[in-house]
Amino acid sequence: MEKRKIRVLLFKPGIDGHWRGILTVSRALTEAGMEVIFEGFETVDTIVEAALQEDVDVIGCSVHSGAHYEWNRKLNETLVKKGIRRNFLVIIGGAIPHADHEALQGEGADACFSPGTDTRDVVRFIEENVDR
Amino acid sequence: MEESKKIAEEEEKWRLRTESGRERKDRFESDAGIGLKSLYTPNDVQSVEYLRDVGFPGQPPYTRGVYPNMYRGRLWTIRMFSGFGTPEETNKRWKMLHEEGETGFSAAVDSLTFAGVDPDDPIDWLEAEVGKEGVPLYSIRGMETLVEGLPIDDMSVALVVEPVTSAAVTSMYFNVARERGIPMDQLRGTTQNDILTMTIGYVPWHSLGPDELLKLACDLIEYCTPMGEAPKWNPVNFTCYNYREGGIDAVQEIAFGLANAVAHIDELLSRGWKIDDFAFRLAFHLAAQRDFFEEIAKYRAARRLWYRLMTERYEAEDPVSKQFRFHVQTAGSSLSAQQPMVNIMRTAYQGLEAVLGGCQSLHTNSFDEAVCLPSEEAVLLAVRTQQLMREETGVADVIDPLGGSYYVEALTEELEHRIWEYFGRIEDAGGIVEALKSGWLYKEMNKAFDRRRKAVESGEEKVIGVNCFVMEDEEPHPPFRTNPEAARIEIERLEKLRAERDNARVGKLLDGLKTVCETRENVMPVVMELTREGATIGEITNTFRDMWGLWDVPMMG
Repeated sequence: MEKRKIRVLLFKPGIDGHWRGILTVSRALTEAGMEVIFEGFETVDTIVEAALQEDVDVIGCSVHSGAHYEWNRKLNETLVKKGIRRNFLVIIGGAIPHADHEALQGEGADACFSPGTDTRDVVRFIEENVDR
Repeated sequence: MEESKKIAEEEEKWRLRTESGRERKDRFESDAGIGLKSLYTPNDVQSVEYLRDVGFPGQPPYTRGVYPNMYRGRLWTIRMFSGFGTPEETNKRWKMLHEEGETGFSAAVDSLTFAGVDPDDPIDWLEAEVGKEGVPLYSIRGMETLVEGLPIDDMSVALVVEPVTSAAVTSMYFNVARERGIPMDQLRGTTQNDILTMTIGYVPWHSLGPDELLKLACDLIEYCTPMGEAPKWNPVNFTCYNYREGGIDAVQEIAFGLANAVAHIDELLSRGWKIDDFAFRLAFHLAAQRDFFEEIAKYRAARRLWYRLMTERYEAEDPVSKQFRFHVQTAGSSLSAQQPMVNIMRTAYQGLEAVLGGCQSLHTNSFDEAVCLPSEEAVLLAVRTQQLMREETGVADVIDPLGGSYYVEALTEELEHRIWEYFGRIEDAGGIVEALKSGWLYKEMNKAFDRRRKAVESGEEKVIGVNCFVMEDEEPHPPFRTNPEAARIEIERLEKLRAERDNARVGKLLDGLKTVCETRENVMPVVMELTREGATIGEITNTFRDMWGLWDVPMMG
């Protein structure tokens, strides 16, 4: 049987519009053969609903506003509350200091990617960790 | 003619001698893809006519600079883009920068001020972003606090806000200046007010459409300049820097900026003004990127192109209308989160480009800006970087010191041709506003994102710390954090304002703004009254949204 494509949902919480990061990752994942659903600005609640409906494997959240702790916490808490946290890989990327990676992972993120990341590392992380 | 033939013969002989030596690369090219010779000679600048194409500083075509004496008279302005947390904290930082030798202010605002939303708007957890990316300026109260105790009668202030909130934020500032007794005709500063920054440099949240953004941008220009309300204020700064940060090249950077200026000029002409009524106040904000000589040639080419555009297309007569004045920011996108101290050197080289290129003011990035807002230590070093150029190096003592370099003159000419050609492509796409609506500009930006990513990932474009000279087990740099209490402080500030102000009066003025939106008159007079009476950024911007509707951004191109 042919393997199903990995499905990734990408979004930006809040209202900050720095978009180069998310579009760059979106393009790289698509080139790597994944199915990318690009949601742009969305609320966390809507994204969680969309992730279920679209049956995605990965939720990618892009934060350049400096509010990465807040959005990471909100996304993970919402997923936990619904009892579906384990259904997805949760990735957070953006202008995030490397010094914050450990704490963000402690609060639920499966991986963090900062400026200067080689997009092939993002692809590799997803391929190795996704549960299909 | 005799000499050029002789030079060509000698060059050929020299080339044959060097051919046996291998070169590091098959092809050398500039960042914008211009093929580079290994050596430039008088033969490469034969088409350059000195008096026609280069000339003297302060004289057409202004290639060598817009002022006759340039930095011999007055050095460029040290203007650091700065803001975070609360207006109180930003005010403290500005005072520190002023004491340490900054000569102009520039306000970085937070995402709410940028988009025109109040922090108590019931949108998904907006508090998370209050004061995170810049200073919150939601009402005249914030603005009063921001500039409290600062010599704004003497120093210029740049307000980095875009058309969706430029009327609101600029009018807050104007009203504060009036409260402080500073005559409007003495007020110096800039509003960025650039329609492309919030559309292609940064994707806008709940934005108005391009036609409305252009209208708002031109309303501010019209109010300040031809209507004469703030004659020394620069009401627009075509922010080529922000588009460049997306990954486009130097050619596209200037072409986007010129095409953007043309859209505004044509709109103002259609309102019945003459070119010389306002063109003298149009200014630009350019990037200083990694290719040293190309960037310097870019500034020179931009001045020449602006002169030609103003002369040939618009038949401007006032010399000032034809002078391309610009601020420079060193390239944030060239910085690395890895080995951040290397950013100090990157920024110093880029700052030098701006100075050798004759900028009017300069922001040098702080070394920690790849990951967070600047810490005090980092921003101080960035200020010192400029002071070092001014005081120790002597680079500001001779005007346009690279003028006459065969290489730089040839590159200036080549860039001029390429920019003009690409500018023509934007015009073919219908001009900047059409190109925004159709998604053409987004397509160009997306191609640039892709090209840069591939260049870095393939190692073709070297970035120290990222794809070469990488250090494993690097200790992460401790980031600067903004005030976690900012949201509470700002919401309380707004609650207090709403309790104190004349709400009936504000409501009436907001109705007046609706009428102005319908009739498409200039919004500035009523917005001036609104912010004076305590209307908030969200109340004003939501009126625009309600009246004009939102734009579905064609960001996938």
